[in-house]
Amino acid sequence: MDKQKIKETVLGGLIKNNPTFVLVLGTCPTIAMTTTLFQAFAMGLATTFVLIFSNLFVSLLRNIIPDKVRIPCYIVIISTFVIIVQMVMRRFLPDLYSTMQAFIALIVVNCIILARAESFASCNRPLYSMLDGVSMGLGFTGALCLIGIVREFLAGGSFAGFAIPGFPTMSGAGASAFGFIVFGCMMALFNFVIQKIGERKEKLKKASLPLSDGTVHSAAEEVAK
Amino acid sequence: MDRAKVMPLLKGVLVLAVIALCSGLLLGAFNILTYVDPLQATYEQFAADTGATFSAMQDEEGQTFGSGSVVYYAVSDDGQYHAFLASGGGGYGGNVQMYVYIKDSAIEKIVIGDNSETFLDRLEEANFYDNFIGQNVAELDVMGVDVVSGATRSSTAVKNGVNAVVQYYNTNVAAGGENNG
Repeated sequence: MDKQKIKETVLGGLIKNNPTFVLVLGTCPTIAMTTTLFQAFAMGLATTFVLIFSNLFVSLLRNIIPDKVRIPCYIVIISTFVIIVQMVMRRFLPDLYSTMQAFIALIVVNCIILARAESFASCNRPLYSMLDGVSMGLGFTGALCLIGIVREFLAGGSFAGFAIPGFPTMSGAGASAFGFIVFGCMMALFNFVIQKIGERKEKLKKASLPLSDGTVHSAAEEVAK
Repeated sequence: MDRAKVMPLLKGVLVLAVIALCSGLLLGAFNILTYVDPLQATYEQFAADTGATFSAMQDEEGQTFGSGSVVYYAVSDDGQYHAFLASGGGGYGGNVQMYVYIKDSAIEKIVIGDNSETFLDRLEEANFYDNFIGQNVAELDVMGVDVVSGATRSSTAVKNGVNAVVQYYNTNVAAGGENNG
């Protein structure tokens, strides 16, 4: 496997093409399931599982599935894994399942999964596709958890269920409308940080370009002088 | 018939059918692994919610009152609890199932079970269940309780389920002259 491609795939899902903050996909679970950190984490993991396996199977079957029926085929594959998640959760985590039942079923129509099947898994080898599923899923989970931490703290004054004394609580922070505000602010912050890092990298690159006489001066050398 | 046109079509149908068949088999296997007997699950839920033991269950599927129905009914072995699994219709995502416990002729506890609602947490926030808990079943006017704004259909479904339990209790249990402890 090509190292550069692995790096690109992993960083792409986590940061560069983060499904929540950059591609702005899957907004419905992002708003609905981020009232507490635990719920956000569980939703992210369920989506990651479906993403990994749907990517794997779409990629394995990419030369067999005819172009005209590819979308129904993808939907059948995706919904199979969603129902498996549902069955396993109902059996082993019934409490959690009863609070997020409707949203687990909605993973079928989560646009992140269909988008990855269509744009990545259908034209890449199975291992890369699985890796893409892992990184996209973890990018989604991470983003959900970040929003979950902020909303849970503002609404309930707690972190992962443990109350932090001394902070006033805002009951409205649990509402969907406030979820959008938190989502927007965090998206802006995320993109700002990414942009700043990108600019700094660009600067370093420029600073270490070869001069006309062929010698190379990097910014670090300049500082050392 | 044009062979060149029919063949790709047939191939598409065939591939889709094979994928659907495989996924069906996979789901069947998972269903065997994760299947829970509904009667057994209800026993366990009753016991977990009340701390009492239940050894006999009446299957009341079809006992319908308005838009709600009673699915299972059981009396705890010590006679203290009357436990119901009820289903309320009219929810946003279909029926809402709930476990309702009656002790000393008053509703002691309501636990929401299987459902597809997205706004049920609003009922909790609005203290909607306090309209029922602690109330005497003989005097309780379930359908007169105000619904929670923003979750009208979810609260209606819960009301329908609780109403079915109350009606069932008043007609079959209390009127039957049974000693309610």
